Parts: sequence; structure tokens; C-alpha cells
Amino acid sequence: MASITSLDAEHGARSAPGTVADGRVLVDPASLPSLTGWTLKAEGLCRGDVCVPVRDPDLTVGASIDLARVAAALGRPAVVDADQAVVAMGEPSAARRGPIEAGIASDFTLPQLDGGSFTFSSLGRTKKLLLAWSSW
Amino acid sequence: MSFDDSVAAAQEWANAADPTPTFPMLLDRELLLGELYGIYNVPTVIWIDEDDRIARPPVIAPGDDMFRDFTNIDSSVHHEQLRAWVRTGALPPPTGREQIMLPTDDEQLARLERRVGAHLCRTGQEQAAEAHFLRAAELAPMDWTIRRGTLPLRGDDPFGEKFFAFMGEWSEAGQPGYGSADPDAPS
Repeated sequence: MASITSLDAEHGARSAPGTVADGRVLVDPASLPSLTGWTLKAEGLCRGDVCVPVRDPDLTVGASIDLARVAAALGRPAVVDADQAVVAMGEPSAARRGPIEAGIASDFTLPQLDGGSFTFSSLGRTKKLLLAWSSW
Repeated sequence: MSFDDSVAAAQEWANAADPTPTFPMLLDRELLLGELYGIYNVPTVIWIDEDDRIARPPVIAPGDDMFRDFTNIDSSVHHEQLRAWVRTGALPPPTGREQIMLPTDDEQLARLERRVGAHLCRTGQEQAAEAHFLRAAELAPMDWTIRRGTLPLRGDDPFGEKFFAFMGEWSEAGQPGYGSADPDAPS
């Protein structure tokens, strides 16, 4: 049993026990919610009130679920490094383009440099300046 | 919001800020806001109004003139534009280099490759990370947050040879991307 790592923009790295077989990164379906936020149910892959039907017969291998196939079933891009047992699942470009094209400032939560986290919407109805910088 | 990979890297600059910042200082090491707001370089500013609508899409705006000889950007121009908008709601005239950049499939994939590479670096697997950084650069060759932003993770100088090689590529490609807030800055 290997340690499988799932990466996403909001949560960073999350790990669970799993296996790698034939280039496929596999985990117990019970680990899927803690790794991805999605749950495998009879009606498909579900998160909150949303369920996405899954017709892919290769989604599961024995009792395990293939993380790359989960991403494909959800219509999300993914990068798999089977040698390192890492899968990064992202958002489709269309989902990111929509709010930008509409001129809507998306809400987000990020860690603060001095500890804790900060949610953009907590600033409320005021003018805001978002500054993206870096030490590099 | 800093695109650095660690609090320590960003904190050094935050501590040096005078006066001490009173606004939230955030760390975005997964480049989440890059894809949420179409940010491809730093320093980038975005103006957001009371209704959470984008009043001014991303533009380059250094906070001071430390690198003015290099960028040719007068930082006071953005400061004055910002003061006018806050006081009166007036938006600056177009600079002619505005560009709203919408994430493409390749760029989203590039961010995932960069994310895997960064994770592998953090866990001491720098050699395995390199293939992901190279793939990210192929997918998003003009994205500064990927091309330049990965240099420190790879042990390279972000103001060194590889950076200037990228600058050359970017210049030859016509300096794609959104411009600066200063309309008099040469493109």
C-alpha cells in the first residue's frame, strides 16, 4: 500500500493510502471524499447536491477507484505522476473563463502570512485592490 | 497576495514594508488567483468595486520605483489613478495595452503540471519535479508565474541567466499579455 497524494488549488496536498498499478493511481472509494471532496454513490460522483452520472466501466479496478478516471468523469483536467503516486485535478478552463469574462470577482480563501485564513468576501461592500506580488 | 512558495519567502518582504501593511497579506502558493482572475505576472493589480465587479482588469503596477530602470514604469501613475478611483469613481483613460487574458485548456494543464512539480520539490523530489516544470513551460510559454515563478523552486536565480533567456523569448514574441498601468511606459 502506497501513500497517494491528491493536489488541488484550494486545498493543496491531501493524502490517503492507495496503490499504483499499470500507471493508474488507485484508492479505496472511502478515501475519495477526503482526497477530492467527491463521493462515489449509486447515482454517480456526488458533491453536496450535485451528482455527475458515471458511465465509465474502467472507473473502478476491483474494489479501488482510479483518480484519473474520476477527473475524466467530472470533465476536469488532471495530471498524473504514477511513479510518485501524485494526481493533480483542476478546473476546466471554461469554468475559470466564465467569471473573468463576466467581470465578476470570484470569492476565495487563502492562508494569511501571520496565520489563519482570510476570505475575500469578508471585506463586504467596499472598493478593493487586489495586488499579486512575489519575492521573485 | 503573494505567489511565493512559502510564508518565509514572502514574510521577508512583508516585514520590510514601510509603513507596516494594515491590509490582509495572503499566500497563494498554488496560483489559485492566477486562474480565478487571469493573472500571469507580478506585480499585478486588479480593482474591484463595491459590488464585487472588476472595475479595472489586471495591469502591471509596481508599488515603488525600485526597478524603474528595468521596467520603465512610473509607480506614481498607478497610485494617482487609484486615489482618483477611490475618491470619485473615475477610471483612467485606456493605455492601449489592456488585455483580459482568459485561461485556456493548455494553461490550466500547465498550472497542474506546475502544481505537481512544486509539490515534488517540497517533498524533496526535485529531480522528478523537473519534467513537470518543463511540460508546464511548454504548455504556457509566456506565463511569468510559471516560467519565472518556478525558478526559485528549481534552485535557479529569478534574476539570473534563465530569467533573461525567458525575457528574450517573451520580447521576441511581442511581449504578450496585459501591459502596465502607466500609459507612458514603453511596451
